[in-house]
Amino acid sequence: AEVEETLKRIQAHKGVIATIVINAEGIPIRTTLDNSTTVQYAGLLHQLTMKARSTVRDIDPQNDLTFLRIRSKKHEIMVAPDKEYLLIVIQNPCE
Amino acid sequence: ARFHGNPRSGRWELLGPRPPLAAMFADGTAPGADVESLWRSARSARCEAKSCQTGKISTAETAVQSHTSRDAGVQTDQSKDAVQDFQQEVQVDYASLLSFLQRVEDAVIKELNKNWKSRAFDGFEVNWTDQNETVLCLHTLSYPEAQDQNLQVTSVSWNATGSVVACSYGRLDGGDWSTEKSYVCTWNLDRRGLNPQRPDLVVDVPSSVMCLAFHPSQPSLVAGGLFSGELVVWDTSRTEDPVIWRTGMTDDTHTDPVYQVNWLPDAKHRNHARLLSVSTDGKILVWREERDGRLALAEGFAMVAQQIPRSAQLKKFARGEAAVGVTSLSFSHFDPRVFVVGVEGGYSLKCSTAAETLALHRTGSSVPLRAPAELAFSPHGGPVYSVSCSPFHRQVLNLFLSCGTDGQVHLHSMLQTQALVSLQLSKKYLFCVRWSPVRPLVFAAASGEGNCNQRFCSIGDVHLVDFEKSSRKPAVSIKQAAGERPVYCLEFNIKQTRLLAAGDATGTVKVWQLSSDFTEQGPREMNHLEQLASEIMD
Repeated sequence: AEVEETLKRIQAHKGVIATIVINAEGIPIRTTLDNSTTVQYAGLLHQLTMKARSTVRDIDPQNDLTFLRIRSKKHEIMVAPDKEYLLIVIQNPCE
Repeated sequence: ARFHGNPRSGRWELLGPRPPLAAMFADGTAPGADVESLWRSARSARCEAKSCQTGKISTAETAVQSHTSRDAGVQTDQSKDAVQDFQQEVQVDYASLLSFLQRVEDAVIKELNKNWKSRAFDGFEVNWTDQNETVLCLHTLSYPEAQDQNLQVTSVSWNATGSVVACSYGRLDGGDWSTEKSYVCTWNLDRRGLNPQRPDLVVDVPSSVMCLAFHPSQPSLVAGGLFSGELVVWDTSRTEDPVIWRTGMTDDTHTDPVYQVNWLPDAKHRNHARLLSVSTDGKILVWREERDGRLALAEGFAMVAQQIPRSAQLKKFARGEAAVGVTSLSFSHFDPRVFVVGVEGGYSLKCSTAAETLALHRTGSSVPLRAPAELAFSPHGGPVYSVSCSPFHRQVLNLFLSCGTDGQVHLHSMLQTQALVSLQLSKKYLFCVRWSPVRPLVFAAASGEGNCNQRFCSIGDVHLVDFEKSSRKPAVSIKQAAGERPVYCLEFNIKQTRLLAAGDATGTVKVWQLSSDFTEQGPREMNHLEQLASEIMD
């Protein structure tokens, strides 16, 4: 229940289009999008996050990835990584 | 003994003591001297005669012929199972999930806020593709036989794959019931060896073709509406007789030329689309295909002047009975039952296929005709020739464009009768208007003919308007026809979004390649247009 509350708070934020939580294997656990889109986002962003993390650690082994943001023409994708889960938030930052 | 030559006897005579006469001269023959030839025998002593012969080569005659073959086809079947729900498999430890979320929530909210307020990316645009600044004419297509008969291009259409363009030849300025032959020509632009003067396919049609439409998913079917009121569907992949369906001349057929034909998706049978035809006799008919190649009437609507709703604001235009010949139609992309219709009286009307009231129509037809009109919008100063619903705007706004002989383009929202924007694009008639399939703020209009200042000016132009740049005048005006003849029709290519085909009165179809600022969506275009619309509506 608290999990749902937290996710609802994030989803209700200004401009947020979608929120997805995936586990360490890239399998979606919670999502506000439809099935096929969620699976697509989960697979692609999981791979990208792993690549970003290994890039950071290759440059400096003492360093680690804390946050990943991808800005595109239409919206911004934010990924908060962790050992066991990944939180993906898609926001449309139009003023 | 020594001899000397005796001059008297010419003989040799012995000098010195004479031997006894008998022994002196005697006839005798001396054997010749033989010299044995040495080289040949020596040679033969050194050489030996030998001979050789290649062994016999064995040969054999055989023949091979394959005589059995089998055709086999492979086709994947659509899977009947639905996609499995991914949540079945995963075991979730809610405690660790909760702690994860609590850890990241603050950071995420902070980033979301920063993003919302940030102006860091304002005006920042990245170009991933080469910028092409100009509008080019890629192809100039024509059919010389049709041009010799002074036929004009009445309609163009792109097929489902975006590689074939078809045009219909006919006459838009002929007023009589003409029985002039006309043509439908197709060109495949992706084929090598494209000859712009020789279409890939030419179909002879006994009457003037006024409008064309390719099937939205089957690339070889094309439907056409004729001057005689009939509808014909051709299959361009057939070589002998491309006609597959026709309405024929029955009681149900239109009594006036068909000015627009559309394919309607049929929700029940995926590929059996229905055809919709629009004509100036006021009827909008929906046809379905029957087995024997006939098109039969499935349902129909009739526009009768008394049944058009008049709103309070339009009282001053409601003088007498305005003609209700329907010239154009466009379906809303968001609600498949709603469509907009343009009529000769200068109105555009919002209609619904779900209308129930019967039309007050005199002649009987096999299917009862209904009156679909729900709302009338503010009119133009002349007949409306083309309407187009925007594929971009969400249900709330539902914008559409209409253009007519007054040279104006009206941008309407389906929610109110007054136009949002009225653009006086030119002093000439506007024959066709179409929204761009990629940029929500861009549309194209085709113009030509008309009286400007008592002088008959008929320069054909294609105008491209971009609301982002200016809502008062066109961003680009392309001169199409060299001979200053009007442009009658244009269509954007949905698959290859840089191409625009326009057909004119000289019988040529020009395929224009648009510059990249017309084909790439800017970062916040959708919002700009919603802003524009809401500013005006308030």
